[in-house]
Amino acid sequence: MKRTFLAAAAAAFTLATATATLAGDFPSGKVDYVIPFGPGGESDVTARFQQPFFKKLFGEDLVVSYKPGGGGAVGWSQLNSMAGDGTKIMGINLPHIVIKPETGNVGFETDDITSVYMFHYTPDAIVVRADSDMNSLQDVIDYAKANPKKLTFSGSGKGTANHLAQVNFDQMAGTTTTYVSFKGTGAAVTALLGGQVRAEWGYTTVGAKQGDKVRMLAVAMESRHPAFPDVPTFKELGFDIVSGAYRGIAVPSSASEDTRKAVSDAIAAINADAGFQKQMIDGGFALVDVAYGAEMDAFIAQKSSGYIAAAKAAGVIK
Amino acid sequence: MIEYLFSALTPLNILLALMGVAAGTIIGSIPGLTATMAVAVLVPVTFSMQPDSALILMGAIYTGAIYGGAYAAILLNTPGTPSAIATTFDGYPIAKRGDGDLAVSVACLSSVFGGLVGAIALLLLAPPLAEAALAFGPVEYFWLAIFGLSLIAALSTGDFLKGIIAACFGLLLSMIGISETSAEVRFTFGSNTLLGGIETVSALIGLYCIPVLIDLVATPDRHLKEPEQTRGFRLPEAMQEMLRNKVNLVRSSLIGTMVGALPGAGGSIAGLVAYSEARRSGKGDVPYGEGNPGGIVATESANNATVGGGFIPTLVLGIPGTPPDAVILGALLVQGVRTGPTLFADGANIVYTFIFGLLLATVLMLPVGLIIGRFAYRAIVRAPKAGLVPIVAFMTVIGSFAIRNNISDIGIMIVLGVIGWIASKRGFSVSPIVLGLILGRIAEQGFVQSWTIGDAMDDLWGQFFGRPLSLAIIAMTLVSFIYPFVPQIRRLFRPATAEPAPNPAPASLQKIGADLVTFGVFGAIGLVVLVQTAGLNPEAAVFPRTIAMGMLVIVAIAVARLFLIHQVIDEPSTGSTSRRISVPAIMLLAVFAMSTVGFALAGLLMALALIVPAQHGRISGTGATTLAIAVAGIILVFTFGFSEILSVPLPPGQIF
Repeated sequence: MKRTFLAAAAAAFTLATATATLAGDFPSGKVDYVIPFGPGGESDVTARFQQPFFKKLFGEDLVVSYKPGGGGAVGWSQLNSMAGDGTKIMGINLPHIVIKPETGNVGFETDDITSVYMFHYTPDAIVVRADSDMNSLQDVIDYAKANPKKLTFSGSGKGTANHLAQVNFDQMAGTTTTYVSFKGTGAAVTALLGGQVRAEWGYTTVGAKQGDKVRMLAVAMESRHPAFPDVPTFKELGFDIVSGAYRGIAVPSSASEDTRKAVSDAIAAINADAGFQKQMIDGGFALVDVAYGAEMDAFIAQKSSGYIAAAKAAGVIK
Repeated sequence: MIEYLFSALTPLNILLALMGVAAGTIIGSIPGLTATMAVAVLVPVTFSMQPDSALILMGAIYTGAIYGGAYAAILLNTPGTPSAIATTFDGYPIAKRGDGDLAVSVACLSSVFGGLVGAIALLLLAPPLAEAALAFGPVEYFWLAIFGLSLIAALSTGDFLKGIIAACFGLLLSMIGISETSAEVRFTFGSNTLLGGIETVSALIGLYCIPVLIDLVATPDRHLKEPEQTRGFRLPEAMQEMLRNKVNLVRSSLIGTMVGALPGAGGSIAGLVAYSEARRSGKGDVPYGEGNPGGIVATESANNATVGGGFIPTLVLGIPGTPPDAVILGALLVQGVRTGPTLFADGANIVYTFIFGLLLATVLMLPVGLIIGRFAYRAIVRAPKAGLVPIVAFMTVIGSFAIRNNISDIGIMIVLGVIGWIASKRGFSVSPIVLGLILGRIAEQGFVQSWTIGDAMDDLWGQFFGRPLSLAIIAMTLVSFIYPFVPQIRRLFRPATAEPAPNPAPASLQKIGADLVTFGVFGAIGLVVLVQTAGLNPEAAVFPRTIAMGMLVIVAIAVARLFLIHQVIDEPSTGSTSRRISVPAIMLLAVFAMSTVGFALAGLLMALALIVPAQHGRISGTGATTLAIAVAGIILVFTFGFSEILSVPLPPGQIF
C-alpha cells in the first residue's frame, strides 16, 4: 500500500508542478498548514496565532489541519509525499525530529525534513507549587543531594525537551532525581498541582498559564523572559542550559529553492510583526529567528549533537 | 449573577446556541466526526467573534455532538463518538425490537438532564470540584482503568474466559505504535501503517459498524422493524422510563460530572462507569445488555454531564478536562483571554456568561434533539437496505479518514471490522476488545508513572495500595467483578433445592475444532508479544508483557476447559457467505484505489458496487437507476461537506 501511495503521490506531484510554474510567488493561493499533532497543543495554538497575521500580510488563507499519530512521526513520514509547490507546509518540532528517528524505524530520518524556519521555542523551566518550600534553584539542588532519587519531577514525555533538560541538569549539578513522564504538559501540570510530584520540568508557558499558583525557579534561556523579569536563567546561576521545545516550519523536499526561501521570508515577516510578538510573549513563548539556509543547517547540527548525547545518557536511545 | 444571565440571553447568543446545538448533533451523529473535531473546525470562525459568543457557540456544538453520538449507537450499533460506546449495549437491542424512536427520545431527555446537572455543577461548585479532581493521581487513573475493565465480566456474552481473552487482545492493540511512556517504537513490525498506533475512533467504527454491515447484506430481512403507524416522539413513554430510572439518572449525571472534571478521563469512561453502576443496581423486565432503557439513561446522562464537568478544570485550572476542552482553551488563548486560575477571578464576566450560554444550549437541545432524532430514526428505518449499506459504508470510510487525515486508518478500520465479526461469531464479543483498547493506554501510563514514583520513594506497595482514594476504587472494582457471579456463588452455598441445570449436549467436533483454532490464534498473538517485548526497555515492556502472560494463562485454561466439558459458546450465522465477504472486499479495494483515483471517485465507486450485494430480490431498471442516483447524490453531498465545510483534506488522485 505504501508503494502505490508513493507512486500516486509522485504522479500527483508531477501534475501539480506542471500546472504551478510560478512556484516563486508564494503564496499563490491558500496554504495548507499541517500540524503533525492533535488540536489544542502548543504547536496548534502557535499556528493559530500565526493564522490571522498571515492573512493580514499576504492576503491568503493559512488553513490549519492535523495529522496526528506517533508523536508527530506519522505526519513527518508523509511530508515528502506532499506537493512541493508552496501550497503545503508542515509544523516541525525539536528535539522530536532529531530524537524520533534514533529510537527505531519511524518512517523518516532527520535529514529527510527540509526545515525552512524556526520561529519560537518554549524554554524549559523548573516549576514548583506556590506553597512549596523550595524557593530557589539552590534549594532544589540541596534537596536532591540530601535525598538521592527522591526528588520527583513531572514532565511532558520521554526524549522530549523536558526530559533531556532534566538529564543535562542532573549531570551538571551532580544530582540524581526522578523524572516521571506524562502525556503532554497539561497532565504534567495536573500532577504538579495535585502534589503527585514535588516539582515539574515544564515550560515558561506553564508560568504564564498558572500565574500565582506556581513558582518558576529558573528558565533555560540566554536572558530572562520579558514576561517573567524576576525569574533567573540557568546561565545566571552557573548552569549553561539554554533549551526547550523549538517549533518551526518545513516544506516537502520537492520544493524549489525559491519556494523554500519564500516560505522562510513569510514566516520571518510574521515574526517581525509587533502584534504577533506581544501575543507570543504574553503566552510565555520565546521568539527565535532561524532562517532557511546555512543558518538553519548550523542550528540543527548544533542542537542535534546535544540532544543525542543527552538521550543516550538517559537511555532513550541506544 | 442575574446580569450575566441577561448578557447570555442576547438574540445573537440564542441564535448561536441554537445553530451550535443543531450542527453539533448532526456532526456527532456521523461516526468518525467527534466533538473534538466539531469544535476544531469552528476555531477560525470564532476569531471574528466576541470571546463570550465564541465560547457559547463552541460549548453548544460540543454538547450537541456528545448527544448526537447516540443516534448511530442506537440505530446502527456504532457509537457516533467514543462517549456513546455504552449506549450501543442496550440502545441497539431496543432498536432491533422496533423501539428505536423511543430509545432516541430517552437518549435526548437523558442528555438534557445530564447536561443541566454538569452545567449547574460548573456554575455553583467549580472551584472545590477542581481541587478535588487534583487528588486523582497516576495510581487512581490506573485503578480507574482497571475498574472500567471490570465491566468485562458483565459484557462478555455467555463466556467469561472468552471475554477476558478479548479484553487482553484489545489491551495489546492499544500498545501498538510509539509508546507514550518510553518513546519507543513497539509492535509495528517495521510497518509505517502501524506507526501511529490503532486510532481509537476508527477502531470503534470498524469493530462495531463493519460487522453490522456484513450481517445486513447476508439476509433480505429489514435492518430495523418498521412501525405500522407513525408514533410521534413517544414522549409520555420516554418520560415514564425517566421516572422509572430516576435514581439511575441522578447517579449517572453525578458520575459524569465528576469523571468529566478529571483531566485525562473523558466522556467514554464516564459513560462506561455510569453504565457499570446502573447495571449492577439495575432492575427491570429486560436485563441490561439486552435492551434495558436504563442503559441509555445511564450512558447518555453521564456523557453529557462531562461537558459541564470537563469545563471545571478547564476554566478553573487552565487544564483541559476533555479533548474538546483543549481546543477551546487554545481558541481562547488566541482570542487574548488569559485562561488558568486568573480567569475565574478577572474574567468572571466571560465565564458566567458562558456558563449561562451552556445552560441555554442544553435546554435548546431538547426540541432540537427530538426533531433531529426523529428525522434520523425515520431515515434509517425507511431506507431500503440497498441504499443504507452503501451510504453507511461510505460514512465509515470518510469518518475514519477524517479523524487523523490518514488513509492507513481506513484500512485498519476495515481489517478490525472483519476481526470483530469473526470473533463475535466465535463467541468473543466486541465490547471487551473495545474496553481494552480504550483503557489500555490510561492503565499503562498510570501504572508506569506510579511505579516510577513508588520506586523513587522506596514504597511501591504504599503507592499502589496505600492511598484511600485508590482503595475505594479497588473496592468498587472487586464488587463490580464479583457481582455478575453472585447467582452462581449463591447456588454454591444453598443446598440444591432446585434441580441443577441439565448439562447441554456436547458441541460438535467441528465447533470444538473452530474454538481450538481461535484459541490458538490468540495464544500465538500472546507469544509474539512476549518475544517482541524482550528487545524493549523495561518501561515499554512491563505492561504488554504482563498482559500477554495473563492472556496465555487464560487461553490455556480455556483450552483445558474445552477438552474437559466439550462446551462451545458461539453465535451461528445464517445467510449468504459470498455477499458477506463482498462487503469488506469492496471496501478494501476502494482503499487501495484511493491514492490512484482520488478519494471522491473511489468512495463513489465503492458505494455503487455495494448496492449489488445489498440488493435482495429483483429490482426494475428504473428502480435501480433511481437508487444509484440517490446513493451517488448523497455521497457527493457528503464529500463536498467534508472537504469544503469541514476542510478535511481528502486525498486527490490522478483523475480528480
